[in-house]
Amino acid sequence: MTTFREYRENPEASAPKDDALKALPRDAWAIQGERAGFISRTVAAGIDVTLIFLTVLGTVAVLWMLSFIIDPTSASAPMADGQGDRVPAIGVMILYGYALNWFYWTVCWATSGRTLGNLVMGLRVVNFRGEHMRWGGSAVRSLFCTTFPFGLLWVIVSGANRSVQDVVLRTSVIYDWTFALPKLRGALGGRRDEIGPAQPS
Amino acid sequence: MSSEYGASRQEVILVTHPARSGPPNPLTALRDVFSNSVGMATYTASTLASLVEQTITYTVTTSVNQALDRLVPVIADAIVERLDLTDLVLQQVDLNRIVTQALDGLDLTQLVIDRVDIDAIVAEADIDAVIDRVPVIPLAHYVIDEIDLPAIIRQSTGGVASDAVNAVRIQGVGADQLVARLADKVVFRRRQRKVDAPGEPESLLGRMQSDLDSTERLGGEPVDDAEGGPA
Repeated sequence: MTTFREYRENPEASAPKDDALKALPRDAWAIQGERAGFISRTVAAGIDVTLIFLTVLGTVAVLWMLSFIIDPTSASAPMADGQGDRVPAIGVMILYGYALNWFYWTVCWATSGRTLGNLVMGLRVVNFRGEHMRWGGSAVRSLFCTTFPFGLLWVIVSGANRSVQDVVLRTSVIYDWTFALPKLRGALGGRRDEIGPAQPS
Repeated sequence: MSSEYGASRQEVILVTHPARSGPPNPLTALRDVFSNSVGMATYTASTLASLVEQTITYTVTTSVNQALDRLVPVIADAIVERLDLTDLVLQQVDLNRIVTQALDGLDLTQLVIDRVDIDAIVAEADIDAVIDRVPVIPLAHYVIDEIDLPAIIRQSTGGVASDAVNAVRIQGVGADQLVARLADKVVFRRRQRKVDAPGEPESLLGRMQSDLDSTERLGGEPVDDAEGGPA
């Protein structure tokens, strides 16, 4: 047991000062802020893609049901001239899914830095300064990831757990299990200074 | 023979002669009378001298004592008035030694317990002033850390969902590290991966991470900052 005198005289040995970090399991403290590995990122991306896929299916289902309200007499099967199809073409659905995915990642990365999949896996996307991305960079990265998802494979062999997108755009995906938004946390508590090097008491 | 005042003792030795037969010799008788007279005179004189001496001694001693009884206090007061006793004591007396010896001979703790009403002192004490000097916030942090209050809160309020999420995350981290180790072996990478986030992440964490773990994790081995890009 550490005495109070020892605690005061050796603050470095005590627990980190950030309350958000204290809320995490102790086992997770050491990895916070590190670049995430392949599995976590793949699972997060899989959750996001699944979500987008379900959203696309839901959209199609809604359109299909709406089609009966709008035009209840048309044939459900596609006619020879392409009229009467109550379900959008597969290409349209794929394009719609890509667009939705791009939009979803752009918004999430530019705001909180994390998507739903990132939230589940405790990840956050940051730029080269370690801050969450701006809208332009987020849109470019989202487009890059959407059109070239295999860039994620580079995480496996990278010496710094970075994907192709990360290398090109100088971004990082880090472990961050905390829930508060970075800027919000800094504005509320003003405790970011306490996170840094231990200060003498 | 002892005198009344016990100061001296004198002895007189009487020598008897056997009775002589025959007619007394006038010369012998005269000599005896003379010698006896001289002895008596000597004895009387010495006794008188002793009595006179003792009387004088008693008289003088009594008078001197009475005089001293009156004079000494007056003289002492006059001396004390003319002296700075405090300064004298400070200069001439080893107070530290005296105090140390006095303290060594005392059980001050027991003395305080026996003689001092501690409850009364505490009742009169300014507790607020004491508390003002206590580092309350560090003390609170210390207590929170020692009892691991966040863990208690997590255990009491955290639901199954948060536990499941944490478990998934932990497993994901483990899988990440496993894949990274395998890949490093495949590509014959001997150095550890540089996984510190760039800059000062708002996520809190790279800053603290670099402080807490960099030395420990890197083991003092220089890290290859050159990122192995895909090109």
